[in-house]
Amino acid sequence: MTVPDNTAILGVSVPIADIEKELRLLWEVDEARTNASLMNFAVYSEKKGSLANNSEMVREITREHACRALLIGMDRHLDETSVRAWITAHCHLAHGQKSVCCEQIAFHLTGHSRGRFRNTIFAHLQSDLPLVFWWQGELSSIFTDSLYRRIDRLVLNSSDWADVKGSFETVRKAMTDVDLVVQDLAWTRTFHYRLAVASLYDDPVAQESIQATKRIRIEAHVDHKNSALQMLAWFTELAGWKRAQDLIAEENSKHTSYRFSKANGELVDVELSYQTDCAPLARFEVVSDSVKVIISRDLGCQQLRHQLSCENHELDVHGPADSDKCSELVADQLSRGGKNSLFRRVLPHFIDLLD
Amino acid sequence: MLTVFMSNPFREDLVSRSRPESCSVVIFGATGDLTHRKLIPALYNLAVDGELPSSVKIVGFARREKSDEEFREGLKVLNKEVSRNGHNEDVWSEFEKTVHYHQSEFQDVDGYKRLADRLDAVDAERGGKGNRLFYIASAPEYFDDILVNLKKAGLNVNADGFWSRVIVEKPFGTDLATAQHLNQVVNETFEEKDTYRIDHYLGKETAQNIMVLRFANAIFEPLWNSRYIEQIQITCSEHLGMEGGRGGYYDKSGALRDMVQNHLLQLLSLVAMEPPTDLSADGVRDEKVKVIRSLRQWDTPELVAENVVRGQYTAGHVNGKSVVGYTEEDRVDPESNTEAYVAVRCMVDTWRWSGVPFYVRMGKRLPKKATEISVHFKAAPNVLFNAIPGASDNGNVLVIRIQPDEGISLRMVSKLPGTSLRLEPVKMDFHYSTSFGKGSPEAYERLLLDAMAGDATLFARRDEVEEAWKFIDHIQNAWHKSKTPPPMAEFVAGSWGPEEADNLLAKDNNTWRRL
Repeated sequence: MTVPDNTAILGVSVPIADIEKELRLLWEVDEARTNASLMNFAVYSEKKGSLANNSEMVREITREHACRALLIGMDRHLDETSVRAWITAHCHLAHGQKSVCCEQIAFHLTGHSRGRFRNTIFAHLQSDLPLVFWWQGELSSIFTDSLYRRIDRLVLNSSDWADVKGSFETVRKAMTDVDLVVQDLAWTRTFHYRLAVASLYDDPVAQESIQATKRIRIEAHVDHKNSALQMLAWFTELAGWKRAQDLIAEENSKHTSYRFSKANGELVDVELSYQTDCAPLARFEVVSDSVKVIISRDLGCQQLRHQLSCENHELDVHGPADSDKCSELVADQLSRGGKNSLFRRVLPHFIDLLD
Repeated sequence: MLTVFMSNPFREDLVSRSRPESCSVVIFGATGDLTHRKLIPALYNLAVDGELPSSVKIVGFARREKSDEEFREGLKVLNKEVSRNGHNEDVWSEFEKTVHYHQSEFQDVDGYKRLADRLDAVDAERGGKGNRLFYIASAPEYFDDILVNLKKAGLNVNADGFWSRVIVEKPFGTDLATAQHLNQVVNETFEEKDTYRIDHYLGKETAQNIMVLRFANAIFEPLWNSRYIEQIQITCSEHLGMEGGRGGYYDKSGALRDMVQNHLLQLLSLVAMEPPTDLSADGVRDEKVKVIRSLRQWDTPELVAENVVRGQYTAGHVNGKSVVGYTEEDRVDPESNTEAYVAVRCMVDTWRWSGVPFYVRMGKRLPKKATEISVHFKAAPNVLFNAIPGASDNGNVLVIRIQPDEGISLRMVSKLPGTSLRLEPVKMDFHYSTSFGKGSPEAYERLLLDAMAGDATLFARRDEVEEAWKFIDHIQNAWHKSKTPPPMAEFVAGSWGPEEADNLLAKDNNTWRRL
């Protein structure tokens, strides 16, 4: 069941028809609190115990992002069709002064009905505010055009998917049908890695070496293969390289190899290795005859190490790393905003690497 | 040696603004308060956020003997106290490796030649030549020496695709003549495009939001003119007096030159400017300077007396504490003729603003600390609801709060609940701190990044500074050089300024907005 045994964490149980009325009462109790909202933030999950976990995550996210949160726990496998709801508010001291609160409505739905799900959720959106929808786990039959047409920003975590390619084809269709901004947490997890790579290639000597690259080596945690592949797709797409389809050297669950061809026809070898005892992205190494660029992160470390080694100079500095927590990744991405157009550009190349 | 920069393909779409380039940052006046409290914490916080280019080196230049370690230790103590992101020992230990100290007198050209050698060595470690950003944060009397000696040491030269830029802290002169002199010295050393005159007000989130509010929302711009706007007020109130020895500086400067000439006229130009053709630095600054140039000049003592009020506070109470009067303050001349309060009625003689007064006021020892712009719209016609006896005569007011409690509010009239028809003003209020939990970066963070990226949009251009001084000089001359100077008004510390300032608005049938 997605709903916890003890529902106290979800707040006060309320009849569906009275949700808005009960929310108003919630604010009338204490006038000292400020109700803030910049978006509707829906979190959908079919995972056991998800409502309680997501309520905690939303509590964290609302520290920086004022919203009306709608948690949806869906137990589709149950025969009985039912809907229950709870309301609460997450309050934080803003800059140590004012108590700023965000409303949360938690829904527990059982049984199978797409229309009931959509109508229940959409009836409780705050008007005029965008809808950010965090879909947790595999995409299901509920993810249809009548759902995604109402969404402004879709948050996913492809690292949780078994059928990555199939799910991304569904997502691509949605992105084509409507101007849907998609945010994959596997991609968000590469942000500071990409920033670090870009920063090292600001060095003119390193920049000149891009097209002289001989090989790339990526080390990642076995649960974060998608982040590693998206990082590779990003790098090769922006470098202007094409995948040399017929030159895959070998592949197993812990090791994959690719080859890319540059505009001049030269080849770049890429090796990806996956481990179980390392950071999600542990190492990204780009090597040419004269320049070596390495971004690395030790397990548990909150910083990335940026190393540049050229013929006549070296650089070895540290910079921030992306969070390992999904709630913090979501918060970071919401802060950055934007249309995520780079992801849209890289996505086909990433999907190509899944073959 | 490389002669051109290629573009870095991996920068695409990573951040939505100009990219800061790697450089050596040299801070003149490195032992001063600004460096310790603002500049180094700003650079540290940029490093924490991963915004600082990875190979940036920081060199503090000052007169006192210090080792790198002693310099870093002093910076660390203050960083712990003031850093926006808190102080992380691991991050700091990495960051401080990039910080060095260079001892020299500002007048000693050999010190600059040694600096040049040192920067060359830093650049050599990075593989060749490099960019340089010079930040002049010293006392203003050293500006000339520093600029001249930078030139003598050849540190001002752009070459081989690498740039050399200078950031100059205020004050940009004390009048038009000294500003022109300083600008001439700066421009003899650095090209105007490489000169960044910092006005930290322009780096504040809400100041940047003025343009967004006006030009990204379709509802405001059609109303943003003399047809719908009655008056605009720009207020900067300080509850502080001359604590911490600041009387020595302030008594030579005064409210008009310290705040109005730069910060408040910059805010006025952002509020009154026409839409720029693009968001380039010169696109924006071309429009801002037109506003300053369009200010009606109060160029006789009589006009100054009619349109400007100056004042000093007498002993009173602020925040429940007794405070002395301005002329009893530490390091203030007991016979001082310097204003601690000023209110100016400005007229912007353009088609858009014809007949709309802009009231600008700044004062020390006022009841609270606040900077805000209020746009007062004309009242609705006196028919229907407004014709009802006892109806509210409050027009709509849009308030842009610059600091503290940054945000925007809109006052409108609403019916009071009940069976009778009673109208009262209500306020719609947007607070940055409520809506966005994440704190804004400090103004200096944004401005330092912009200088590294070559984006001068938020910096004052030479003509802006000089046009502002032209306007201010007329007032200064009337006060200090005329035979019939307008009088110095008095107000009790802790009040909202002298009665004469209220009368200034009363002549137009207006009143100061209550903060």
